[in-house]
Amino acid sequence: MSQIRQYELVYIVSPDASEQAIAELHTQVEQIAQRYNGTLDKTENWGRRKLAYEIGHAREGTYVVETISGSGEMVKEIDRRLRVTDTIIRHLIVRVDDDLRVADRLRSERKATQARRRTARGLPPEPLPTERRGDRDNDDSDDLGLEGSEVQR
Amino acid sequence: MSGERGGGRGRGGKKDDKDKGKGERPRGGGFFRRRRVCKFCADKIDYINYKDVRLLSPFIPERGKIQPRRISGTCAKHQRALQTAISRARQLALIPYVTD
Repeated sequence: MSQIRQYELVYIVSPDASEQAIAELHTQVEQIAQRYNGTLDKTENWGRRKLAYEIGHAREGTYVVETISGSGEMVKEIDRRLRVTDTIIRHLIVRVDDDLRVADRLRSERKATQARRRTARGLPPEPLPTERRGDRDNDDSDDLGLEGSEVQR
Repeated sequence: MSGERGGGRGRGGKKDDKDKGKGERPRGGGFFRRRRVCKFCADKIDYINYKDVRLLSPFIPERGKIQPRRISGTCAKHQRALQTAISRARQLALIPYVTD
């Protein structure tokens, strides 16, 4: 029925909230996740940060980032709960599994291409840490030459 | 990869008509020369993280607007991803919407 997906939740807690209140919010989120058979994979507390703009008279806030896996219903409930919590001045939930998978695929594809090209040139598939990126430099100078000719036009 | 780069260069022809509206651009000094290479392609950044302010900040000039592609040289694909990342960062008050 409902698929397990990975989400990233970021919320900003009001600067008036105590450490304890922040910890409570964290356990609340965890409990909701568990109720919907989700898991809380990672938590990161950025601590107090200045906001780029004022949100309802608050000039700074505590940022908490949580990575959660679970169903869409779970996210709905978390979203609703965060919305009604007064100490949270802003929150954002983003689905990340697709983006990370794409990024992963690109990385492995690039690695495979690199390995194939390197073996074709008779080099070990992985570049050695001592190796200079000669081909990369050539690329850059080529681009610079092109840019120069464009500017002259 | 080379296909994306080629796309970036292909747009080069368009910049001439943009330049005349702007008038004289200061040569050298504070204004850095337009790069024709997409930063994300060159640095092999696959996922543009909206929480990474340091990654996004070069694309947000003082005014707070997103730098257009013709100036930053970002490829279409990455400019789209950058756009999403910047709007998310703005929602989280990591980056201002406007600065006067």
